[in-house]
Amino acid sequence: MRLSVLDPVQAVGRAAISSVAAVGRAGYGVAAALRAMRDGRTWAPHLVEQMARIGVESVPIGLFIAMFTGIVLALQASYTFTGAVPLYFVGTLVAKTMVLELGPVLTGLSLSGRVGANIAAELGTMRVTEQVDALETLGYDPHAYLVVPRVLAGMLMFPVVVILADAMGILAGWATSLYLLSMSTPEFMKGARLFFVPWDVEFSIIKAASFGLTVTAVGCLFGFGTRGGAEGVGRSTTRAVVVSSMIILVLDAFWAATLLK
Amino acid sequence: MSIELKDLHKAFGPKRVLEGFSLEIREGETLSLIGQSGAGKSVVLKHIVRLLEPDGGEVWVDGANVGALSRKDLYDLRRNVGYVFQFAALFDSMTVEQNVGLGLRRLTGMAEADIHDRVEECLHLVDLDGYGERLPSELSGGQKKRAGLARAIATRPKYLLYDEPTTGLDPLTKAVIDELIMRMAEELGVTGVVITHDMESAYRISDRIAMLHEGRVRFEGVPDDLRTTDDPVVKAFVEGRPELLENAS
Repeated sequence: MRLSVLDPVQAVGRAAISSVAAVGRAGYGVAAALRAMRDGRTWAPHLVEQMARIGVESVPIGLFIAMFTGIVLALQASYTFTGAVPLYFVGTLVAKTMVLELGPVLTGLSLSGRVGANIAAELGTMRVTEQVDALETLGYDPHAYLVVPRVLAGMLMFPVVVILADAMGILAGWATSLYLLSMSTPEFMKGARLFFVPWDVEFSIIKAASFGLTVTAVGCLFGFGTRGGAEGVGRSTTRAVVVSSMIILVLDAFWAATLLK
Repeated sequence: MSIELKDLHKAFGPKRVLEGFSLEIREGETLSLIGQSGAGKSVVLKHIVRLLEPDGGEVWVDGANVGALSRKDLYDLRRNVGYVFQFAALFDSMTVEQNVGLGLRRLTGMAEADIHDRVEECLHLVDLDGYGERLPSELSGGQKKRAGLARAIATRPKYLLYDEPTTGLDPLTKAVIDELIMRMAEELGVTGVVITHDMESAYRISDRIAMLHEGRVRFEGVPDDLRTTDDPVVKAFVEGRPELLENAS
């Protein structure tokens, strides 16, 4: 095949058109989901089931990640502070870092894989097997039936999983300090309380809710946009995880810049 | 009352699928739409219930311009149109009974006992008595298609749209599905649009047959007209003789 000097220009043009189309599709999806919020008769019966699938079933992975994060945080803090900083600051670092950053972000990133991929694959399969069209012909708004309960469940349940993860990380850090760093419980608690403010927990919840919205909405968007059979489902699933992970990291910086002044 | 498709145009990217497609489906008749794979037959069917919107042209059902309907009116219209999907499109996580009753729960506000009775009646009509508690994964291809048909007729629609109802089935199961389509017309009085590649089936079940070719209706008439047509493009498709296309324009 001969290459033309216009090929790069055409490639840029195609990429630009594709990007604008993607933004348009996203805008349409958001508008359709907002409109579907009014159709409570359709989405309300599915909300609890989705809260269980998205939230309750995600608790084990959230706790697992938080536990080892808490252990590593305590050990690394102790390694860093040796001789220079009082050891009770291990408690400060573990509590502050878990609640403000690692609890929400690591949980968000891991759930973008577990929840976001699951939603994109499920909705993508429903799209390519015409189940979404079937819903339409049976009188259901697919956005009300499929999207709204998932997004609401994500926004409500991510904060629950994150709060449990925060607690598990601190507990693991405390246990590590106690048994591996020869600290006492009062020492660890002194450090943990030193710079603690209730706002930290609220900040963690706000981040978690925004990550829940991101992961579920991106999963739904890519799932609904699936074309082309099994390969298309795989492509949508991968893109949903990559895009939601990137948005989580951007949001993480955004919240830090706007709410931690 | 009827379905009218007027001068439809539809393209997907650079691929123009419909280019001035016009067709009327009369009340009470069963019309088969034939044509090569990828010609756009399913695209036509999806326009009737606005699963797709045309780039140009209009779709009229029961005297209403489908493209101009509000969402509420569109759902009212869909209550009167049953859609049998090519691969049944049953919801994997639901039992057959839940699948068949789904439209009833949404559209008609019936009591649960009445829904149960209607579901049983529909399953009986498609010879799936006793299959209500099974999951779609536990059904054969033919049974899935029949369950899809039961779901489509549950709301007692005036129109039934069948997207390749016999594709991929063995001859016996094909005959059963054809028989069901004819029963739907005779016993329920529904107007049917059937997309098919299967000429034997088309001749058996159709009052009229139309052929879609290059985005337009190439042939429209009763089955006997189709058998005797001189149009080389139509003959090539119907008789499976691609060599006739060399003389076609």
